[in-house]
Amino acid sequence: MKDVFTYLIGGKAGQGIMKAGEVAGNLFSMLKRYSFQVNEYPSLIRGGHNFAIVSSCVKPVFSFYRDADVIVALDRRSYEIHKPHLKPRGLMVVNEGDGEGLGLPIVAESRKYQRSDLIQGVAGVAVLAAFLGVPEQRFQEFLKEAYPKGAEENQAYAQTMYGLTKAKTSPRVVSQGSKPMRNIVGNDAIAMGAAAAGLDCYFSYPMTPTTGILHFFASNADVLRLAVMQPENELAVANMAIGAAFTGARSMVGTSGGGFCLMEEAFSLAGMIEAPVLFVLGQRRGPSTGGPTYTEQADLFFALTPGQGEFPRLVASPGSIEEAFSLAGAMLNLVWRFQTPGILLTEKHLAESSMSVDLDPDHVPWVNPVLYAGSEPYERYRQTPDGISPLAFPPSSQVIKWNSYEHKPNGWTTEDPAEFTSMHEKRRRKQESLVSFLRTQKTVNTYGDGETVLFTFGSTTLSVREAMEYSDLKVQLVQPIFLGPLPVWELEQYRGRRAFTIEQNSTGQLAMLLHDKVGMQITGSILKYDGRPFEPTELAHQIQEVLR
Amino acid sequence: MTRDLGTGAENTWCPGCGNFGILNAMKKAVPLLEKQGISQEGLVIVGGIGCHGKIMDYLNLTSLYAIHGRGSAVAQGMKLANPELSVIAFGGDGDAYGEGLEHTLFAAKRNSDFTLVVHDNGTYALTTGQFSPTSAVGFKGPSLPKGSVEPPLNPLVLLLEVGASFVARGYAGHIDHLASLLVRAVQHKGFSVIDVLQPSVVFNNSFKEYNALVRELPSPAASVEEAIRLAKVTEYLPIGVFYEVNQPVFHERLYGSWNPVVQRASQIDRRKSLRKMVTP
Repeated sequence: MKDVFTYLIGGKAGQGIMKAGEVAGNLFSMLKRYSFQVNEYPSLIRGGHNFAIVSSCVKPVFSFYRDADVIVALDRRSYEIHKPHLKPRGLMVVNEGDGEGLGLPIVAESRKYQRSDLIQGVAGVAVLAAFLGVPEQRFQEFLKEAYPKGAEENQAYAQTMYGLTKAKTSPRVVSQGSKPMRNIVGNDAIAMGAAAAGLDCYFSYPMTPTTGILHFFASNADVLRLAVMQPENELAVANMAIGAAFTGARSMVGTSGGGFCLMEEAFSLAGMIEAPVLFVLGQRRGPSTGGPTYTEQADLFFALTPGQGEFPRLVASPGSIEEAFSLAGAMLNLVWRFQTPGILLTEKHLAESSMSVDLDPDHVPWVNPVLYAGSEPYERYRQTPDGISPLAFPPSSQVIKWNSYEHKPNGWTTEDPAEFTSMHEKRRRKQESLVSFLRTQKTVNTYGDGETVLFTFGSTTLSVREAMEYSDLKVQLVQPIFLGPLPVWELEQYRGRRAFTIEQNSTGQLAMLLHDKVGMQITGSILKYDGRPFEPTELAHQIQEVLR
Repeated sequence: MTRDLGTGAENTWCPGCGNFGILNAMKKAVPLLEKQGISQEGLVIVGGIGCHGKIMDYLNLTSLYAIHGRGSAVAQGMKLANPELSVIAFGGDGDAYGEGLEHTLFAAKRNSDFTLVVHDNGTYALTTGQFSPTSAVGFKGPSLPKGSVEPPLNPLVLLLEVGASFVARGYAGHIDHLASLLVRAVQHKGFSVIDVLQPSVVFNNSFKEYNALVRELPSPAASVEEAIRLAKVTEYLPIGVFYEVNQPVFHERLYGSWNPVVQRASQIDRRKSLRKMVTP
């Protein structure tokens, strides 16, 4: 069994919980250990119950684990909620008087400092460092970098907490890995992948869970040389991105289901005028406002069919943070190669979780569309065998006409039945070219080996991989990276095998898709729709149940 | 190089429509702009959906024929990505003041550097004459046969209030005057809007009324307050530039004098910056 060390810190919003989780992950990186960090928080700014879990191992770890070696409860509620999940030899640290375990004056001490609420997260990190036996000097240097704001106060407060923990516990020294690690959150991986492919403009209206992409680009706009804008609403977001693409700018937008509803008319516009725009759709729990800060995979069908009319479209969903990075770049390339809108479908669990990854910007290709060479008068929608018409951008000696009405090759409006037919056929040929191209690409990931096939998509892949490793399950996991067009040519080989889907929705949308497109008979589905990601030990148990 | 500005596409506006006045004013304005150093090659026009939008097919200029109400958003995306371009968005009153009012107001608020030309005919002509945001109370159309019960918006007052840096009213019946307004609006650095009184000969034929009421303003108002007062005048209809002021433009406030498309980061530089972010 995998030797995983899990740390949990819980408290109210405003106590620096998520930051402490991130810093704890970096502390494991300093020890050259892999880690996976997940946050759970309600949709509010003060109060409620927040927690972060960091699971760490000398081998790659793809999920958090529920049972913890160290729990730091900054309030009574956190103590009550997480008490059942302390491992037998684990350490429970509470704010003095808020429960049983090692009581530390976390709140009382914090009152000595200016940022007295936010600083409490620092206590959680100091406890972990002391318990892991990280030498104090090394820890303090680490802390200065991790919390640059108010460094002196943090240092003094951390010193007290570190000292008390060290005096009252015997350290649990964990084994160290062999190479330095870098923890990256899903949203940043998506942003960096698109940037590596040559992104020029990012437009977004803030919405969980993709707000992190907007913040990443905003804070790195100068160094990456990108234009970043927060317009008045998602209608403006999508239409501005189309306007930017018209000038040759590689453009991306990010949103969640509700925002994407508003973008649908522009999505169809992009299909008609053949505008290359990449839409990041981060799923959260719906319908409607739903559970805005919780995860779900219920927008698969929504992502496959938005917008009126028939036009080529791409939908792909990353199964890991490395893949979020490479796929964001690949999708930006694809939408430019085929001049059509695409959706990078992800979910809260990937967008806002971080893990130790190796990302290589040198392996992401730079967008390289088919350009007008200037030998004949320009026609925006020139009929070509593969349906792809060369692009030209203003300023130009040529007249370039993009048109939301059905159009002649030169871009003028038409209502002629023969031209209606031929333009539909042009877009159909483009779709066929897209499928031919995808046949040469990696479109499906598989893991493990066994008679039974488990199908999943998106970040649930991470949970299933961890469950398979945890319980040494003899199954084959198949994850279609592309969901539209679905790589039927890769999936047909599994027809006739005993197959289950594992999904974070209540209706089994992937099972329905595989049945409709591949003719697969799915034996059953493991579905979770409580807004929380699968936990690997529980999931392993559920898989074993269905395998029986 | 001056191109022929007509396309030869079949014109489907009703004979005598005010839209012809706007089309002809554009054909006069483009060569004048060229003389001022604004080339046709870098001039881009955007249209929404409505009778006004057909101007996309009739002007031999680079264009994006967008969807109802979103023209100003598309135009702002263009300008943000390549500030070297001169962008004119055409819209109808239903388009710019109804379906897409938020884009119009925010473009003015942030002083995005493009020109919005509103073909304001006070009716939804392409959908057979329903009332629009600028229709008068009592205006009869197929969706309110007894007459509109909503008072009209005053678009100029609204745009002056949110900080538009160039606000004008033109008249489709005064083509030379409108052409000169177009030239000034495109030359203006920042958001410029021309609300064009545009009679719809079939659904709202106001030529006679406008011919009697329009009066050219000698010069812009000295203050926003004065411009707002002028925009509320109904005894006659002032046309011309109501207000003009120099204000910092949005894209320059956002990222300075840079051009995202023309001065795009090289692949080598991008990779170098990213490598620093992903290395342990």
